[in-house]
Amino acid sequence: MKVKTLIASMAVAIGVTLSTGVASAQTLTMGVRGGPESLDPHFSALGSHAEAAKHMYDTLVWSGDDLQIEAGLATSWKPLDDTTWEFKLREGVKFHDGSDFDAEDVKFSIERIPAVSGPTTTTIYVRRVAGVEIIDPYTIHIKTNGPAATLPYDFVRLFIVSADAAKDYSTPETAAEGFNGGPAAVGTGPYKLVSWEPKGDLVLERFDDYWRGKGPWEKVIRKEIPNDSSRLAALKAGQVDVINYVSSIDYLALQRDASVDAVVGDSVYIMNLQLDQRDDTPKVRAKDGSKLDKNPLQDPKVREAIDLAIDRETMVGIVLEGLGKPANQMMPPGFFGSSEKIPARVHDAAKAKALLAEAGYPDGFQIDLYCTSDRLPGDGAICQGLGQMFSQIGIKTNVNAVSKTVYFPAQSRLEYSVFMNGWGTLTGEASYTLGSLAHSKNPEVKMGAFNRVAYKNDKVDELMQKGAMTLDADKRRALYEEAMELTMADRVYIPVVQLQTVWAAKAGKLSFRPRFDEDTLAFFIKPKN
Amino acid sequence: MLGFVIQRLLQAFVVMAAMSVIVFVGVYAIGNPVEIIIPPEATEEIRAEVIRKLGLDLPLWQQYFIFVTNLVQGDFGRSYIYNVPVLELIAGRLPATAELVLISIISATVLGVTLGVYAGYRPNSIISKAIMAISVLGFSVPSFWVGLILILTFAVNLGVLPAGGRGEVISFLGVEWSFLTIDGLSHILLPALNLAFFKLAMMIRLARAGTREIMLTDTIKFARAAGISEGRILRRHLMKLISVPIITVFGLELGSTLAFAVVTETIFSWPGIGKLIIDSITVLDRPVMVAYLILTALLFVLINLTVDLVFALIDPRIRAGAA
Repeated sequence: MKVKTLIASMAVAIGVTLSTGVASAQTLTMGVRGGPESLDPHFSALGSHAEAAKHMYDTLVWSGDDLQIEAGLATSWKPLDDTTWEFKLREGVKFHDGSDFDAEDVKFSIERIPAVSGPTTTTIYVRRVAGVEIIDPYTIHIKTNGPAATLPYDFVRLFIVSADAAKDYSTPETAAEGFNGGPAAVGTGPYKLVSWEPKGDLVLERFDDYWRGKGPWEKVIRKEIPNDSSRLAALKAGQVDVINYVSSIDYLALQRDASVDAVVGDSVYIMNLQLDQRDDTPKVRAKDGSKLDKNPLQDPKVREAIDLAIDRETMVGIVLEGLGKPANQMMPPGFFGSSEKIPARVHDAAKAKALLAEAGYPDGFQIDLYCTSDRLPGDGAICQGLGQMFSQIGIKTNVNAVSKTVYFPAQSRLEYSVFMNGWGTLTGEASYTLGSLAHSKNPEVKMGAFNRVAYKNDKVDELMQKGAMTLDADKRRALYEEAMELTMADRVYIPVVQLQTVWAAKAGKLSFRPRFDEDTLAFFIKPKN
Repeated sequence: MLGFVIQRLLQAFVVMAAMSVIVFVGVYAIGNPVEIIIPPEATEEIRAEVIRKLGLDLPLWQQYFIFVTNLVQGDFGRSYIYNVPVLELIAGRLPATAELVLISIISATVLGVTLGVYAGYRPNSIISKAIMAISVLGFSVPSFWVGLILILTFAVNLGVLPAGGRGEVISFLGVEWSFLTIDGLSHILLPALNLAFFKLAMMIRLARAGTREIMLTDTIKFARAAGISEGRILRRHLMKLISVPIITVFGLELGSTLAFAVVTETIFSWPGIGKLIIDSITVLDRPVMVAYLILTALLFVLINLTVDLVFALIDPRIRAGAA
């Protein structure tokens, strides 16, 4: 045979062999919108990073489907005094390399974070930790800087890595190589690493000694497909078994498609309208363009009018195509600090107009409304809906839905007066939300970091600070509920709608419960049979 | 000749320097990258800490100065988002884009020139008219739409080709290529087709215009008079004469596609550098942006330099002029 033909046929043979691939019936292939930035769980605090990390690693405290905390690698915890918490650790847990999990690993993980965390910094999870003391292999004492009532909530994203495997890979230069390359990527999670490429596929295989039990899949492949249409196409073509973040337009079409199951879950994200309280605010003016004597948003009647102008039912039904719920406070119902006393919001355009006239604006005024166009589903559309609703009561609204790349820096420079973005209470309790938004900006008490509307209610400040020091859960809940009620009554933050997230899977193949934090976790996705 | 090359390389440096300044100033004008990356739970002091760590609290000229100092030592810095050295990040994803772009441009050129020469040679045949009609489509239809239709038809409805992603790879010369496997080829087919569509249309039109023009010149008339066969005329004379604009466009398209095949890479989830740059821009990952755009500037200059040198090879008139 001629050499050329021989080589050609060999090439074909090799190609065919390699392309048959491994088609395991026990493999779950997931198409996800975003993946990890690194295999070092301490590198990034982004949700998509944490979701991927939860496959390979466990957190000290587990955040359940409804974001309320449960036992994870720590089985119980209690405060011993004002500055000490005791955590009891789970016994019998193994790492992927067979070694045992104990207090050393927890101490190592906590101490490693400040060195290796990236710009989306994970130091937030250990910011209250002043020191870690090992009492015995399954008990640790955490010393905090001041009373830290919500310390367990901070630990829902504290991933535990193996002290032995990662000890040489805990500086900024070595962490990426050690974890992405493999040797340090040892966790206690349900799946072990097989291979990973940044923004590519994360291939995992089952860890049979996982403490919760054997996962349902032998192999898990997470494919990163950021484009919504491509992700859906991959599902319909059969390349993936399940996808997350289905857009509302695609959802409508999917409801008529028998080959795909759509699963809808409430999201933790609530869209909040924020009204600037500064005396001089840049984006509010009279209808003819001239400057107003004072900032109308400082008048509670004006704020109530704006609240009454919003027709939340229509927003959910028409703008979000049914994928949402009207929101009356900044956290979903049932969260720690959500108040049942806050009434459902009312839509009353006539009353709104009357209130504006009472406040001295019978002809209304003009505002520039800003929001993101590419961060959460429906954000730009909701903004446009709001613009129309405000115009109906006489407030001429110029809607600007801009890219998040532009929005967040500009918002932090306080360039906006009336703006809306989504806020998700990812720890399931109020200090996360009210502490960052409702408390006045005060670096000394470490609160109000995201309060960009100059909102200051002394009673709310007092309640939040007291809450941070109150270690008794019931007392703290009461304080937070009162703080939420006061903040909502002030109407500087006006919640609009709670979003819903949609997953899609091959029809009849899978079953899983949607999570509030929108995490898609392979361990909890079961085959339907 | 050497002077010519050196002059071009100096131009390259100037362009790269200008590019880096533009990116720095541009990112600075949009705002602090930290705002986009920082998680909501962060307190003021953590924010300040991150800003300090990334060196974003220094004045702009100082940040630029640090950047240039590192650059001369060959250090492009680390990505804010991935904490991996930027060059490693780009180099890791370059083979994917390179193979996609080369396959699509080379096939588009070969096919396009062939069809275009035919259309120019026999302008009134039905086939030629069909070719021209297709080329109009190639221009006017947006590539993201074509991409989605291709996926819909071949992956979803017919189920014969995959909907996205890159196929199996084989290591060759230390780099991983996917076109060496059948699975890889099946993954590369649709995105290459998508990318090639527009280039194909352009090459057809260029080749046709060139052919029509050259076929009417005296050179061809005399060649025919000298008894040279049609085939030889087409191969030896026509191709050389129409090649100058075609090679120019080839070079331009190669550069721009290599750098900016973003749409196709996004639709087909192709793990290349086009997606990397657009993602970096969205999160203001400045080190990646600067490095990428500087390298792109260098790439363009080098490609244009090569094109000019190839001209000198092909066209003796240019050679004579330079000397």
